[in-house]
Amino acid sequence: MGTYLQRNWAIVALITAIVIGMALPLAVGLSAPGFYFEVMLGGLMSGVLYSLVALGLVLIFKASGVFNFAQGAMVLFAALSVARMSEVMPLPVAFVLAIGVMAVFAWLIERLVLRHLVNQDAVVLLMATLGVSFFLDGFGQTVWGSDIYQIDTGLPKTPVLVAENIFQGGILINTEDLVAAAAAALLVIALALFFQKTPTGRALRAVADDHQAAQSIGIPLNRIWVIVWTVAGFVALVAGVVWGSKLGVQFSVSLVALKALPVVILGGFTSVPGAILGGLIIGVGEKFAEVFLGPILVKQFDLAGGGIENWFAYMLALLFLLVRPEGLFGEKHIDRV
Amino acid sequence: MSRVRVESARNVLLNVEDVSLAFGGVRALQQVSFDVYEHEIRAIIGPNGAGKSSMLNVINGVYTPQHGRITFLGKVRENMDTHQAAADGIARTFQSLALFRGMSVLDNIMTGRNLRMKTGVLLQAVHFGPAKKEELRHREHVEHIIDFLEIQAHRKTPVGRLPYGLQKRVDLGRALAMEPKLLLLDEPMAGMNLEEKEDMCRFVLDVSEEFGTTIVLIEHDMSVVMDISDRVVVLDYGKKISDGAPDEVRNSKNVIDAYLGVAH
Repeated sequence: MGTYLQRNWAIVALITAIVIGMALPLAVGLSAPGFYFEVMLGGLMSGVLYSLVALGLVLIFKASGVFNFAQGAMVLFAALSVARMSEVMPLPVAFVLAIGVMAVFAWLIERLVLRHLVNQDAVVLLMATLGVSFFLDGFGQTVWGSDIYQIDTGLPKTPVLVAENIFQGGILINTEDLVAAAAAALLVIALALFFQKTPTGRALRAVADDHQAAQSIGIPLNRIWVIVWTVAGFVALVAGVVWGSKLGVQFSVSLVALKALPVVILGGFTSVPGAILGGLIIGVGEKFAEVFLGPILVKQFDLAGGGIENWFAYMLALLFLLVRPEGLFGEKHIDRV
Repeated sequence: MSRVRVESARNVLLNVEDVSLAFGGVRALQQVSFDVYEHEIRAIIGPNGAGKSSMLNVINGVYTPQHGRITFLGKVRENMDTHQAAADGIARTFQSLALFRGMSVLDNIMTGRNLRMKTGVLLQAVHFGPAKKEELRHREHVEHIIDFLEIQAHRKTPVGRLPYGLQKRVDLGRALAMEPKLLLLDEPMAGMNLEEKEDMCRFVLDVSEEFGTTIVLIEHDMSVVMDISDRVVVLDYGKKISDGAPDEVRNSKNVIDAYLGVAH
């Protein structure tokens, strides 16, 4: 343990700082406990969304070494598809159809893009996904329109008051948020089981570990890529529906990919648990920074305050890059020959 | 001390004819021809840079030769890729280990069954009924291989944590799980100590006996090869310089010159 501390003092210090920073508002009495937990829940809620998008990124990166910049655009496209299709059919049907749409998209990506760029530099592939991202943003608007659309999940939006007798005021929770969080958790568990227990999941992990060896035992890379992009598309779909039912489907959804980048830096590019935990940390962290740090800056330094939510995630990611470039759970060396 | 076995069964499983392979100006293989009988242990030996690994990669479909013909199971293969080779029944192990390091021994070997799994992704996701039955059937086969390679105790260990010699066995196990018709071993004894080498020799012989698998193995260490193979091809600078039973090869002047050097 002593040597561990010696070698990793920087990361230990960083994590300690995060934990203390999170507990501080409550400890120094900056806010009432009820309010504190409400802010935390709000942060966890956006954190779940970040996690879902980051999860898509990690899945694709593990299986094909591609950083998929288009993940945010996929969320937007999936959400748009569900929103517009649910106008003319029941939501579950629209949802299932949207899964089909994402599967077709995955197949097209493999056919038209990945297959031809195999073994190219990571930068080339990143550029390709950047192009896909812009295409998908535009194409989505061409097909489905560019207004703000609602996805009505039919869940009650009325807030419930819990923990009233533990402290004064209790905590206000939105039922819809709870259901969304539960759905996300369920999705993560289902994915974990799929990856750990099924032959296809095993093949996916094999490809993630060693392309060459996977091919030599007859695992077809092309099929694996289609599957992995379909799964990432499905994750994007769930994220899109959660987001869309809460805030409406609009172009800004696509930009969530930019928030998922610091998340995977924090959690590690190759780690599924890292994506989940990273998303939650960043979600809560930026809300806390906005709500509790902002007023302090206003009072002490006479700044305008505000806007912290926009840069906090990137600052945290930068610190992680300096201290622990592979992220919390990432693999230290990624050698691909 | 070579084993004179299976003299009766002389079906040619693999035929390599006149194969040439060049990387730019480097001629890795020049007009190499040899054949492999069913059920035999065929060795390809030669000094460093002789073209042994290139030969293996050609058979395996990693490289496509510029000239020459390869016939496997009576079928001429053209523009074959690795995945196709695997589907046709050619399995291989790797000189520098290429195991799935994050996965357990059991999972690594189970991946070798991948081609034989027939249930679709969606049924697998449900994980009951046919998918479950199929998984269990394959698991049984894999357990047999684990017993055979004597790695029962390490079933659940991530392979990255195993010592080198055991990792080599897992690599062999993964290839065996494919129930290949032809097994390619890329320097199976490289980097091993004497005891591990003897173990590996025993496993190679046992695979041949028990499963009847045809084996082509590449080796740097001549003494090991002479003991276990039926016939030996010797390569030097990409050319075949000798071919025959171990005793013949051992006494060939070309081979002695290649290994010991000769005054030019």
